[in-house]
Amino acid sequence: MTMIELTNLTKFYDTGELKVTGLDDISFKCDEGEMVSIMGHSGSGKSTYHLDGVDVASLNDDQLAKIRNAKLGFVFQSYNLLPKISALQNVALPLIYSGENHRQQRSMAALESVGIAVRAKHLPTEMSGGEKQRVAIARALINNPKVILADEPTGNLDTATSRSIMSLFTELHKKGITIVIVTHEEDIASYTQRTIYVRDGKIIEEKKR
Amino acid sequence: MDVTALQDKKLVPAVSVVSPTRTSRGTVSYGNNNANEQTMGIMPVITQIRNYKIDQGRFLTDQDVTNRANVVVLGYQAVIDLFGTGAQSPVGNYIRISGMKFQVVGTCQKFGGFAGDSYVLMPLTTMQSKITGGDVVQQIGVKAVTPDQVDAAIAQVTAVLRARHVIRTAAGAADDFSITGMRETLNSMQATLAAFSLFMGAVGAISLIVGGIGIMNIMLVSVTERTREIGIRKAIGARRRDILIQFLIEAAALSLTGGLIGLGLAVGVAHAMGQITLGQTQVTPEISYSIVFIALGVSIGTGLLSGTYPAFRAGGLDPIESLRHE
Repeated sequence: MTMIELTNLTKFYDTGELKVTGLDDISFKCDEGEMVSIMGHSGSGKSTYHLDGVDVASLNDDQLAKIRNAKLGFVFQSYNLLPKISALQNVALPLIYSGENHRQQRSMAALESVGIAVRAKHLPTEMSGGEKQRVAIARALINNPKVILADEPTGNLDTATSRSIMSLFTELHKKGITIVIVTHEEDIASYTQRTIYVRDGKIIEEKKR
Repeated sequence: MDVTALQDKKLVPAVSVVSPTRTSRGTVSYGNNNANEQTMGIMPVITQIRNYKIDQGRFLTDQDVTNRANVVVLGYQAVIDLFGTGAQSPVGNYIRISGMKFQVVGTCQKFGGFAGDSYVLMPLTTMQSKITGGDVVQQIGVKAVTPDQVDAAIAQVTAVLRARHVIRTAAGAADDFSITGMRETLNSMQATLAAFSLFMGAVGAISLIVGGIGIMNIMLVSVTERTREIGIRKAIGARRRDILIQFLIEAAALSLTGGLIGLGLAVGVAHAMGQITLGQTQVTPEISYSIVFIALGVSIGTGLLSGTYPAFRAGGLDPIESLRHE
C-alpha cells in the first residue's frame, strides 16, 4: 500500500525578487513500512521533499496541524527541543496538542523505548547531541505516527552516535513504521532499503538494496 | 427672637423642625490631653436633621437645655483625641472647656466622610450663657415637612427673616442672612466629585493605553524571539488556535502581574495617606473590594486586548519558515 505519493510536484521558494526552484516536476512513491533515504548535495532540494512529504495541498492549516500531530513524527538535524523544559515535558508536548490523558506515563514509556528514561528530568541543554536526538525521536514516536520524517538526523552527531541512532531507526522500521531519512552521507543511506538521489530539484537515480 | 418666629406654624407652615446652633472652636482637655474640637451648642431636635447615633450613654435632652446643664456628648474622633482608643468609657468623666468642667453623658458613633467626627455637643443654652455669651445663634437648621416643600420652606423662612430684620425689599436692600438648602450643598458636592472622577478616569484611561501599547510591544518582541519555538510547536501539531491562546494567556499573565503590583502600591499609598493629617482634615482610606476586582479585571482585559495582535501574528506564522528562523 502506498504511504506517500508525490505526483508532478513543483515547488518554488519565493524570496521576493528571486524565485528559486526547490522541486522541479517530481514524482515519487513510498510504500507503507518502507525505509527510504533521500540523498543529494546541499541545496539540491532534499529537505523540501521531506517537509512536503505528504500530499496536503488541499488541506487547511488546522487539518495540517492534526496530520503533523497524529500521523507524522519529525526528527531534525538540530533536534528542535524546547530548551527550557525537561526531556519528559518535551516528549509530552504533542500529547497536550492532541488532548490525550496519561501524558506522564506515556512520555516515560516513549523515553524508555529509545533508552533514555534516566534523563527524563534533565533539560535539553544538559544533554549530549545523541541524547537530545533520542529525546526528539521519543517525541516523534509519542502519538504512534504512520511516518517518521527525519531531516539529516545524524548531521550534528559523531560516527558512533550516528550508528546507534540509525540502529534505533532500523528497530522502529522493523515495528512497521514508514521512515524517510534525508541525508548526504552514503553510509547513513546504506541503512535504508531504497535510496533516491536528487540534484537541482530532480530525481536523478534510484537505488534498491 | 428669630428661632421663636420660625417655630410659629402660622408663619412658616412648610417647616417642621427648627434647630438653632452656635458653634465655636476651642481647646478641650481631659487630664493632660488637649484637643482642638468644634464645640457646638445645639437643641436636641438636631437629631431630626443630622443623624447622630449614640454609641455609649445618652444624647442631650430638653431637660439639659432648660437647666443649662454642664453636660456634653463627644464625637467619635473627640473621644479618641481625649481618651485614647480602647480606654475606659468616657461617659461619667469630666472634661474642661474654657476653664469649666463638663460631664460627658454620651458618645457618638463614627460619621466618617466630610462631616467629620471632631466635635463636642452641649446644650445651646449652656453654650450661650457660659462660653460665647449673648443669645445669638449662627445657624438655624430647618427641615421641610416633605421634600417637595423645600422651596416653599425657603421662601417662607426668607420672608419671615426679612420682615424681622426689617430689610426693605422695595429699596432693594440685600439680605443680612443666607439660606443654603442641603440639596444645593449636595449638588455642588456631587458636581465636584464628578469632575474629580472624570479627571481621574481620564488619567487612568491614558495610563491604560500607554501600558497596553507597552505590553503589545513586549509581546511582539517575544513573538519574534520565539519564532523557532512557535515553529517547533507547530511541527508537532499545535494549531493556530493553540499558539494564539498561549500568547494571549502570557499577555494576560503579564498585565495581571502589573495589576497586582499596582494594587499593592495603591493599598500602600492609601494607608500612608491615612497617616497624614492635612490641617483639620483626616482622611480615612477604605479599600473597596469591588474596586479591587474591577481593577484586576481591567488589568487582564488590557493584557488580552493588547496581546491580541501579537498572538494573531504568532498563530499565523508558517511552521517551515519559523523552523528555519535563527
